[in-house]
Amino acid sequence: MYDTHLPKWFLSFRSVVDMLTNLLNVLGTLLIVAVMLLVNADVIGRVFFSAPISGVPEIVSMSIVAIVFLQVAQAFRKGRLTRTEAVLDFFEKRTPRFRQVLELMFSFAAIALIWQLFWASQPLFMKAWVRGTYEGTVGDFTAPIWPVKLIILIGCAALLVQLTLHAGTAAFRLFAKNGTQT
Amino acid sequence: MSPFEIGMASFGTMVVMVYFGLWVPIALMLSSFVGVWMIKGSPVLAGKLLALAASETISSYFFGVVPLFIMMGFIVSVTGMGRDAFDVANHVFRRIRGGLGIGTVGANAIFAAITGISIASAAVFTRIAVPEMTRHGYNKRFAVGVVAGSSVLGMLIPPSLLLILYGLLTEQSVGDLFIAGVIPGLLLAFVFCLSIFLVALIKPSLIGDKIDLKANDEDVLSTREVMSKGLPLTALIGLVLGGIYGGFFTPIEAGAIGCSGAIVIGLIRRALSFSDFREVLTDTGLVTASISFLIIAAQMYSRMLALSGVPAGFGNFVATAEIGYWGVILAYVLLVILMGTILDSSSIMLILVPLMLPVLALMQVDLIWFGIVTIIAVEIGLLTPPFGISVFVIKSSLDDPTITLGDIFIGAAPFAVLMLIVLGLVLAFPSLVTALL
Repeated sequence: MYDTHLPKWFLSFRSVVDMLTNLLNVLGTLLIVAVMLLVNADVIGRVFFSAPISGVPEIVSMSIVAIVFLQVAQAFRKGRLTRTEAVLDFFEKRTPRFRQVLELMFSFAAIALIWQLFWASQPLFMKAWVRGTYEGTVGDFTAPIWPVKLIILIGCAALLVQLTLHAGTAAFRLFAKNGTQT
Repeated sequence: MSPFEIGMASFGTMVVMVYFGLWVPIALMLSSFVGVWMIKGSPVLAGKLLALAASETISSYFFGVVPLFIMMGFIVSVTGMGRDAFDVANHVFRRIRGGLGIGTVGANAIFAAITGISIASAAVFTRIAVPEMTRHGYNKRFAVGVVAGSSVLGMLIPPSLLLILYGLLTEQSVGDLFIAGVIPGLLLAFVFCLSIFLVALIKPSLIGDKIDLKANDEDVLSTREVMSKGLPLTALIGLVLGGIYGGFFTPIEAGAIGCSGAIVIGLIRRALSFSDFREVLTDTGLVTASISFLIIAAQMYSRMLALSGVPAGFGNFVATAEIGYWGVILAYVLLVILMGTILDSSSIMLILVPLMLPVLALMQVDLIWFGIVTIIAVEIGLLTPPFGISVFVIKSSLDDPTITLGDIFIGAAPFAVLMLIVLGLVLAFPSLVTALL
C-alpha cells in the first residue's frame, strides 16, 4: 500500500474501523455456512426421515439479505465492488492528481447516496420493531424481521464509514506535498 | 423535462459515470435516485424506493442459489478436481493431434459442470494446463489462449452464475436456463476442439514448433486411476445437475448438497485444509455481496426506468422504426459485445436487460433463448481488450513474466472468433437452445 504520506491518526483510526468491518464479514461468512447446513439438514430430513424442517425458505430469504449487508463494507474495502478501472488507470499514468479528484468526487456521490439509503431504511426497521412483524405462518414457523432490517442499517453505516475513509485517503493523496504519488 | 427525457438523461449519465470508474452499483442507484426524484419531484419518495429495493429485492428463497453455487465453485477449485478433469480428458484425447489443447478444452467442459464461474476455471487451468502444454512443445500464446478461450465454458455449461443472474432478472426458471445452456455449451466446446484438431493437422506450426507426439504416452493412466479420478467428478455432476433435472432438488438444495459433496470429497482426499476452507468462505462472502449489491441496484434502476417510460418508448420506437426483429437482436448483440470490451459480464446484463425486456415482450422473443444469446455475447467480452477479465486472471495466476497481457489477448482472439461463430449458429437455429426443454 502507498500509505507513507497518510497521517498516523488516520491510519490508526482506519485499522480500528477495518477490524469492525472484518468482524461483520466473519459473521456474514458464518451465516452462509449456516444456510448451507440448514438446507442440507432439510434435504436429509425430508429424504431419509420424511421430516423436513419448517421455515427453511423464510430463513434462507432473510439470511441472504443479512449476508449481503454484513459483507458489503468489506467487499468495498477489498475493492470487490464492481467498477471499471480502464479510464482511471489511463488518468493515473498521465495526471495522477486527476484520478484522486475523480475518486474524491465518486466517494462523495456514494456517501450522499448511501446516506439516503440509511435514512430511508430507518422507518422500515422502526416499523418492524414496534409492530413485531414476522415472516412465516403462525403455528408452523415464525421469525421476527427486525434483526434483518437492523443489519441493513448496520451494513449501510459500515459502508458509509469505509466510503469516508476512501474519500479521506484520496484527499490526503491529492494534497500531498510535491504531488509525490508514490 | 418529460419523464422520458429524464429517464434517458439519467441512463446516459449513468453509463458515462460507469465508464469513468464509478462503482457500478452506486452508479445504478444514483441514477435511479435522481431519476425518480426528478420524475416524482420528491426526494423522500425516491429514498423510499431505494430502501424498499434494498430490503426486498433479494429477500427471496431463490437468491439462496447465489452464495451456494459460488461456494461450490470455489471449493472444487481448491480441492484439485480441476487436475483430475485435466488428467482424465488428456487420457481420452492423448492419441489425437493437438491432444493437450483438446484435453484442456475437455477438462474445462467437465469442470464447468461443477462450477459456475469463468474466472475460477481460468485460474485453475492456468496453473495446471499451461505448464503442461509448454513442456510438450506448444507455444505459450496458444497455451494461454486455449485456457482463456475455454474458460468461458464455465458460464455456459450449467451450473452458471450468469444464468442464475439472468433468471433472477427476468423471472425465468433457473432450471430451464440450465438445461438450455447444455447444447450451446457442448457445441462451443466441440467447435474449439475441432478447430484445434484442424490447425494441428494442417498448420501445426501455429500452435507449436516442436510438439512431440510421443511424449503423450507418458500420460497413460491405468483403468483404476481413471476411475479414481473420474468418479468424484461424475458423482458431483450427477448429484447437482441430476438432482435438478430429475426434480429431486430445487436449485438451492442442489447448491447446498453440491457444497457438502465437494467438502466431503475434499476431506477424503485430504485436499481441503482449514486455511483453504477459510479462504473459500471469505471469497464466497465477498463475491456474493458484490453480486447481490449489483442485483439490488439493478432492481432500483429498472423500477426507475419503468417509471420514466423509457423501455416502453424504446419498444414503440423499435416497433415503428421498422428495423425489424433481426435488426433489434443484432443491434443488441453488437452493443453487448462493444460494452464487453470495457465492462464486466454481470454489469452489462444488469444495465441492458431491463431496458430490453418490454421490447422483447412486444416481439414475443423466447426469453430463455435470449438469455443464452446474451450470455455468449457477454462472455466474448471476457476475451477482448482492453478489459478482459479472463485474460487478467490468467496473467495474475501465471508465474511467467515472458508472457505479456498482449500475448494472452492475441492467443485468445481466435477463440473469441469461434465464439462469434457459435453465437451466429444459436441466433440462426434457436432449436439448439430449446431442443432439450
